[in-house]
Amino acid sequence: MTSGRECFPTENGDLHEDVKRHYRKTMSGFVIQDKVAKLLSRQNGKPVLRPIKPLALKNEVASRRMKKGEATCVTEMSLLMACWKLNDFNNAVCSKEVSAFYTCVEKAQSKAKGKQGTQGRLLPKEANTLLKRFPNLSSEV
Amino acid sequence: MAASVRHLLKPWTPSLCLVRWSRYNPYYLDPDPSKDACVPESEISPEQKELQELKTVRPIKAALSSDTSSSFNDPLISKFINMMMQDGNKILARGIMTQTLESIKRKQVEKYHKSPAAKKEEIECNPYTIFHLGLENCKPIIGLASVQKGGKSYQVPVPLTDNRRRFLAMKWMITECRDNKHRRTHMYEKLSQELLAAFANEGNVVKRKHDLHKMAEANRAYAHYRWW
Repeated sequence: MTSGRECFPTENGDLHEDVKRHYRKTMSGFVIQDKVAKLLSRQNGKPVLRPIKPLALKNEVASRRMKKGEATCVTEMSLLMACWKLNDFNNAVCSKEVSAFYTCVEKAQSKAKGKQGTQGRLLPKEANTLLKRFPNLSSEV
Repeated sequence: MAASVRHLLKPWTPSLCLVRWSRYNPYYLDPDPSKDACVPESEISPEQKELQELKTVRPIKAALSSDTSSSFNDPLISKFINMMMQDGNKILARGIMTQTLESIKRKQVEKYHKSPAAKKEEIECNPYTIFHLGLENCKPIIGLASVQKGGKSYQVPVPLTDNRRRFLAMKWMITECRDNKHRRTHMYEKLSQELLAAFANEGNVVKRKHDLHKMAEANRAYAHYRWW
């Protein structure tokens, strides 16, 4: 096989021809199917795999929230509540805290809307839409 | 990979022309029935220009038959009429609303003529401003949401959206006027009384708003149970 130096991309940004050929052989479907058949066969003693569901990918991605969120605008809220307690829930006197709270809420909402899918990864919803349009065909009919 | 694949998720274009339905694709824009005076090109900000160009290209929802281009068309009052309406009787609901506004005006004009000259300027006679300001005084600022944590559900103080606040104010007003009145007082009479009270920051609806605020203040320790 080729030496390790050819694994790095050349000046054109492309991999070496031998490396490409190697990848094509190992990543092709037939090679993987043969390996799976070997794992399931009973010819060499007990089978390694005993699957319950068929060994195929679904045309769906699990929809889960990536990061755990935290409560927004808690400081503004606590300031507002302190003002309320002092002034017997009079909104006219606490107008400054009220407007500060509203601006904080608006900012948090716009941030939450804008930040969702911008980190180089597809959202589960978007991935599902695409997979519905271009699914993995499991049968010929 | 995501960046190259995302261009496949292009905005939806309609293949059929929809004719006045309530559930539209979010790609459709809302209609604007107001008659805009022609603003010269130089005074329009770039965002407004963008919005105008968007309106010429994107599909727009069909206008409701209750929207008019007249200057008396008030979206807040239309929303209130729709909320008051029962069994689709829009004529009755609109009649009640007009009677309410008329009775507010009558009461205020009476008060105006009876008051001394010094206090005459403080009395607000426009029923529409009384309605708007009264409703503003009924809107809660913080609401409560039920959050389950460790098998127990807590009432957590939560900021509300503008639509939710407006809805709560209108709902409280209508339920208050329906339930807490003598059986012989008409709806428009009770509504006008409540609206005038709300305008002066008194009355049962404003009291209900204050009760909600007090509960939120009492539960402020649970504010960190929120995750949004």
